[in-house]
This record gives sequence, structure tokens and C-alpha cells, in this order.
Amino acid sequence: MEPPGAASLDEAGRRRRVRRSAILFALVAAAFYVGFIAMMLVRGSK
Amino acid sequence: MAEHQAHAAAHATEDHKPHGWRRWVYATNHKDIGTMYLVFACTMFFIGGGAAMLIRLELFKPGLQFFDPQFFNSLTTMHALIMIFGAIMPAWTGLANWMIPMQVGAPDMALPRLNNFSFWILPFAFTLLISSFFVPGGAPAGGWTMYPPLVLQTGSSFPMLIFSVHLMGASSILGAINVVVTIMNMRAPGMTLLRMPLFVWTWLITAYLLIAVMPVLAGAVTMLLTDHFFGTTFFTAAGGGDPVMFQHIFWFFGHPEVYILILPAFGIVSEIIPTFSRKPLFGYEAMVYAVASIAFLSFIVWAHHMFTVGMPLAAQLFFMLSTMLIAIPTGVKVFNWTATMWRGSLSFEPPMLFALAFLFLFTIGGFSGLMLAMVPADYQYQDTYFVVAHFHYVLVPGAIFGIIAGVYYWLPKWTGRMYDMKLATWHFWLSTIFVNVLFFPQHFLGLAGMPRRIPDYAVQFTDWNEVSSIGGFAFGLSQLLFPYIIIKCIRSGAPIGNRAWEGAHGLEWELPSPPPYHSWTTPPSDAVIARGAAH
Repeated sequence: MEPPGAASLDEAGRRRRVRRSAILFALVAAAFYVGFIAMMLVRGSK
Repeated sequence: MAEHQAHAAAHATEDHKPHGWRRWVYATNHKDIGTMYLVFACTMFFIGGGAAMLIRLELFKPGLQFFDPQFFNSLTTMHALIMIFGAIMPAWTGLANWMIPMQVGAPDMALPRLNNFSFWILPFAFTLLISSFFVPGGAPAGGWTMYPPLVLQTGSSFPMLIFSVHLMGASSILGAINVVVTIMNMRAPGMTLLRMPLFVWTWLITAYLLIAVMPVLAGAVTMLLTDHFFGTTFFTAAGGGDPVMFQHIFWFFGHPEVYILILPAFGIVSEIIPTFSRKPLFGYEAMVYAVASIAFLSFIVWAHHMFTVGMPLAAQLFFMLSTMLIAIPTGVKVFNWTATMWRGSLSFEPPMLFALAFLFLFTIGGFSGLMLAMVPADYQYQDTYFVVAHFHYVLVPGAIFGIIAGVYYWLPKWTGRMYDMKLATWHFWLSTIFVNVLFFPQHFLGLAGMPRRIPDYAVQFTDWNEVSSIGGFAFGLSQLLFPYIIIKCIRSGAPIGNRAWEGAHGLEWELPSPPPYHSWTTPPSDAVIARGAAH
């Protein structure tokens, strides 16, 4: 039998995972954006 | 106490559905947002299609008939941008919104407010882009590839183009993050990765592609913007920049983009063929690995779009061979779809008809792609109508037919009503006949040397251009049937049960038709999931 509040704890954990993974993927996207511009800047300065 | 219980009971049955304009403007429900994406995509399909009709009208005869060359180039550029970013991609996101939560046993998408935001960016992006027709200098005319230095000569519409591309990219990235996060975190207990329907798998892989490559496009157009307005010379040869580098960066985005447009269609066809063959999908795991392989290979083939810029022999060989490698996982998929039908109990309802047309006609686009992958042959085909024929075979009877097949497959689930099968079958036959009349002659034109992106041509190309234009007008007109069939279905279709198609498997068919406003408020049981995952 589940302890009282287990479902809400589970839900809180899921919300945390959702938030973390969304931030992670947003950072990955930002890194691709900045990375390609930085690559061109480095290439141009050589 | 009794009052509290009565209040709770009332809440348990009601759906908290907002009404009026608030339901749409403030929408956080995955079905409402999915509907908005699909309506938006349909609108853009007809606007982009209108541009295509004007292009075919101009090309009906040699000589300049109706438009000046600058406006013609604007039409080709805007047709591509609207169809790719306004019609096909939002249509897939709409289908993902509608189906993914229902298929993985979730109540909604993981990030509903972000979902609302990523949709509402789009109308602003495309209003901005389309309104560029009315600014001095007209709409962008340098092609959807936006190659410098040509695109840097664009008039007042240049910043509108760049800003709208940024907005489209932001919308796609946010939508993709939502899809990945939903699939990874919101699956019902028991819905393991290898129990997921192929549509969910293909969208998961598509979403990873989007997150990786849309920022690259955004970076490229940001650099175009600074070259134009802030004196940088990323791509300006006079200042030490390299215009060819733009092509490398653009196609590092652009080739995975092709798979972003087509992979969800693979998923839909993989759902439809088993249903109407009344057999499990042949080689489910091989299909998943094939899609993942295609996605991986899509990152290492980009330079096949630009063989003629001149590159070292080793690079040409690498990009030629890596491109040809894609035929292997694609062949696995075509084989598995065919093997699924082998000795199946086939029936040919509209979704199956469109899926079969996809199978044959997308394969033609694949074969012409192999021809284009060969470096010496590509030197002949580059920038001819053969390329136009190739990518339209991939995108029209490929991606668009995939979307239409998906809508005809799930429309009874969404509305709780069956559409007019006879009209939908007419829609299929008209589309399939005229899409070939439209695009097949363009192979001949290209092989005979007709260049793309020109409003005028030599007289020897007249006959096939006339045939192609007639096919184009007929194909365009026949698409008007599609919204008519959908509206008729919503208004007066015959009610259906949970399972619209007797051979259908998957969690969405366990829900009532139409499904409740919040899909799986209680996760489905393992037995229900196992029954749905019939592969």
C-alpha cells in the first residue's frame, strides 16, 4: 500500500525532472547557436 | 461535508474547458493547441499553394507572361519558406500535440504554457514574413536558402525575413523541447520506450534533430543580419569572409531539416499500414533503429547540396558515399512496410490509400536522390528542374501525403465522427494522379537542361511545362476537397465508437471518440498498454 502523500511526492519529482530536462535541452540549443557563431569568429580571427 | 463531496463529484466529471476566444488564446490543452497548429498549417498550405499556382501560371508559356522576374523570385522564395516552416512543420507539431499524450498515456504535454507560447509565435512570424510583399523592394527573392551575397541585396524586407526566421526557429525549438520532455517524463508506467508507437518514436528523433539544427540556422541568419547592418564580414569576401561557409552552415541545418519534414511521416505510415493490413508491423525494432540511423546520417551528408562549389576529391567521395548509405536504413523501412502487407488482410480506406501512395512516390523521390548523390551526375543536375522534381516528390507525396494520411486516420478519433469516405477516396485519386502530372515531367525538363528559379525558358521546354502547370492547377484545386471533407465530418459525420478502424492498435483507440478534454487523467493499466503495443 502506498504511504499517504506518495502520489504527490511522485508528481513533485516528475515536475522537477520535467523542468530540469527542459532547461537542459534549452541550454543545448543555446550552445549550438552560440557555438556556431563563436566558431565563425575564431575562424575569422585567424 | 456533503456539500464538499458534491462539489468534488461535480469537478470530477466536468472538463474545466474554457469557452469563447479565451479557450484558444490562453489554450494550454494539447488538443486545442494541436487543432490550432493544424488550422494554421492548413491556412499556410493554401497560401503557399497559391504562390505555387502563380509560379506554374507564369511558367505555362515561355516568355514573361504576368510577373516581372523579381516578383517571380519572391514567389519561389516565399512558396518554399511558407510551405516548409508554415505548413509542413506546424502540421507535424499539431499532430504531435494531438497524438503524443494520448499515445503515451499522459494527460497532456509536459509544458502546456510553453506549448501555447510556441504556437502563438507562428502567426506573428508569418504575418511579418508575408507582409514583406508590401514593403519597398518587395518580398525576399534570394531563395529560401538565403545564400549571400545575393540575399544581402534584399531590400527593406531583409530584416523582416531574418526576424521571422528567428521566430519560426524559436517556435520549433520550444515545440521540440516540449515533445522530448513529454515523451521522456510523461509516459504511463509500463509504457517502455520499445512499446511506444512508431509515430512517437519518429517524433522523439525529429525533436532531437530540431533542437540540434534550428539554432544553427538561427546562428547563420544572425550572422547575415550583422553582415548587413553592423559591418561584420562573416560571409562577405571583400572583408575576408567566406560566402561558401554560409552554404556549409546552412546545409548543416538544411539536410537534417529534410528529415525533420519526413520522419514523422514514416511514423504515421508505420501506424497505418499495420492497421489496414490487420497484421503487426514487421520488424518494429529494426524500424526504430532505421529511423535513428537516418537521423544520425543526416548530420554527415550536408555537402551533397553543394558539390559544384568545388571541394577536395576526398570530401566529394565522403559526402557521396555517406549520402548513399542513407539508402540502407531507408530500404529497411520500405522493405518492412512491404513485408507488413505481405499476406495481410488488406483493405483500402483513404488513410491506407495515401500511405500506399507515400510508399511508391516517396521511393521515386528517394531514387532520384541517389542519382543526385553521385558527384559527376550531380554536376549535370545541379540547379535544374531535376532537383525540383526530386525534392517535391519527397515533400509532396512524401511529407504532405503523410500528413493527409494521418489526418484521415485520426480524424474519426478527434471528432467522434466518420468522414465521407467516397469524397476522401476522390481526394486521393485526384491528388495522386495530378501530383504525378505536376512533378514527373519536371524530371524530363531537368535532364534536358532547364534551370530552376527562372520565370522564362527556352521554347523547347514548353510542352512539359504546360503539362506540369495543368497538373499543378488540378492538384491545387483538388486539395480544396480536404478542408471541405473535414468540415463536413465535424458537422454531420456519422458517430463512431472508440476504435474507428477494426485493425487499429494503440492507446489512443482505448479512449472514447472524441476523447475527453484531458486525455489520461488516470494512467492506463499495463494490460491496456500491452494490448495497444501489438507489435
